Amino acid sequence: MEINAKNLEIGYGDSIVISNIDVEIKKGEITTIIGPNGSGKSTVLKAMTRLLKYQKGTVYVENKDLLQYESKELARIIGILPQRHSAPPDFKVRDLVSYGRMPYKRWYEKNKEEDEKIIDWAMEVTGVTELQNKSIQACSGGEAQRVWIAMVLTQKPEILFLDEPTTYLDISHQLETMKLVKKLKKETKIGVVMVLHDLNHALEVSDHIVVIKDGYKYSEGTPDEVITPTMMKEVYNVECDVLHIPGRSCPLLAFKEIS
Amino acid sequence: MNKKKHMVLRFSLVMTVLLVLLIVFSILSAAIGSAGYTIPEILNALFSPQESFIKVVVLNLRLPRIILAILIGASLASSGALLQSVMKNPLADPGTIGVSAGAGTAATTILLLFPHLTSSVPLFAFIGAALACVLIYSMAWKDGVDPTRIILSGVAINSVLGAYNSLLQLMNSDSLEGVLAFMNGSLSGRSWYQVKLLSVYAAVGLILAFLCIKSANALQLGDEVAKSLGVKVNGSRIFLSAVAAFLAASTVAVAGMIGFVGLVVPHVARILVGSDYKVLLPISIVLGAVVLLIADTIGRTIIPGMELPVGIVMSVCGGPFFLYMLRKGAKTRGN
Repeated sequence: MEINAKNLEIGYGDSIVISNIDVEIKKGEITTIIGPNGSGKSTVLKAMTRLLKYQKGTVYVENKDLLQYESKELARIIGILPQRHSAPPDFKVRDLVSYGRMPYKRWYEKNKEEDEKIIDWAMEVTGVTELQNKSIQACSGGEAQRVWIAMVLTQKPEILFLDEPTTYLDISHQLETMKLVKKLKKETKIGVVMVLHDLNHALEVSDHIVVIKDGYKYSEGTPDEVITPTMMKEVYNVECDVLHIPGRSCPLLAFKEIS
Repeated sequence: MNKKKHMVLRFSLVMTVLLVLLIVFSILSAAIGSAGYTIPEILNALFSPQESFIKVVVLNLRLPRIILAILIGASLASSGALLQSVMKNPLADPGTIGVSAGAGTAATTILLLFPHLTSSVPLFAFIGAALACVLIYSMAWKDGVDPTRIILSGVAINSVLGAYNSLLQLMNSDSLEGVLAFMNGSLSGRSWYQVKLLSVYAAVGLILAFLCIKSANALQLGDEVAKSLGVKVNGSRIFLSAVAAFLAASTVAVAGMIGFVGLVVPHVARILVGSDYKVLLPISIVLGAVVLLIADTIGRTIIPGMELPVGIVMSVCGGPFFLYMLRKGAKTRGN
């Protein structure tokens, strides 16, 4: 399972936000899109999931044009958790998670036992089984995020798209979410595409990183190849060192002290 | 699964209470009025083969009115419930999408400028409502229908139509009786003819509303989530709106403009049973029926010898009750 975006050009109205971008997504890998605010990271993610129209280029999902997919058919292959999502506060966790089965149902069909099993499984993997009878408003931010991820997993997608999954969370919930993403890749062989702001997270969980700057692709590759002091200077205009600490396999970014 | 049972239990409880209320008020409404009867008197008269005054009053005047109130309440409440999901806005009601203004414009025009067509006001009101609704949606269309744009274009078109109505009324201020009756929504003088008409429309509309439950729920999760679940967001939004407009327009055609039911009832239903349309829609329907029946019964009995239009009763009682529920609901939900 692969998603290939070729020569994408994306704009809102007359202004072009993204020009001539190629992105390749593989199942079983964590791909992270990084870049400064306004660089167009989320725009790329939205175009690849058909939440946003693109003006030029093509996205191939398993060698078939993205635009050729019937909406439910697509929803069975890719799952998307947008940055902004809301549910009525009184919705119960389990009910919310069960919406992930919608792409498999005609409008008159109800969830069967096998659907319930998948819902159980998704809640188990994301660790929200205990919460299933709680209302969504009674969940903490981190819990709610895991519930939403469980909902998307219930779609049984091959590729999971997460748009800034950690943005509104505190550090412990951020790490929890990152752990979950890594666990999902390992246990389910799913592909994950994320937009992230925190580069240390990106370094730690990604197999492949795509750097977007001002609407074009600055570079891509493994975390070690991509996240370098030069890139940080040129893309973010930030000075930093990449530190290797004994006992940690993954390097850390150390930013220049604020004087 | 305990909580799930709890939800079902809550739904059954609320539904039972509402159905009991509906029956009680139907009987009460048949009994009271400018001529008051006891229940045994009514039963005796209805089941005796003889024609009697009681029989005529109850069968030809009160019963059709009771059924109409129930149908209208149910239609308006379900229309409002659907629109609140379409707009993702708690203030959405059939007025937002132009149903009231469109019907009002058509009715005012006919009543004041073409009085010889007065008997066709229901038809024109229905068409006017539908046209205003289509106009608002086509103005709001830009790569799809965005709720905010629907609301804004609704405000704009409602204001233009409102101005036209006011102008027409100012220029014809000596013959406003019919217009006022229409604008304030009244069930006075309605008969079995309207019951037959509306029961067909309401049945079709309500069945369609039940088919909207899944999409209404999905739209509550936000457009992007709904899309990513394979829901055709624009298509659903337009279908739901069309069903809502149809339901509201057919009530306007029969009884004129009755406000507040479409706004208040779905809210109260939400506080009672939650936001899942599987329970919210049926409760809204029955609650709407009860509320409008009570309002109409109050309207025709509170001042002896005079009828208050049900639209006025609804607005006077609905507003404060709504505020009360809002404050109470906010407390119990802790936010």
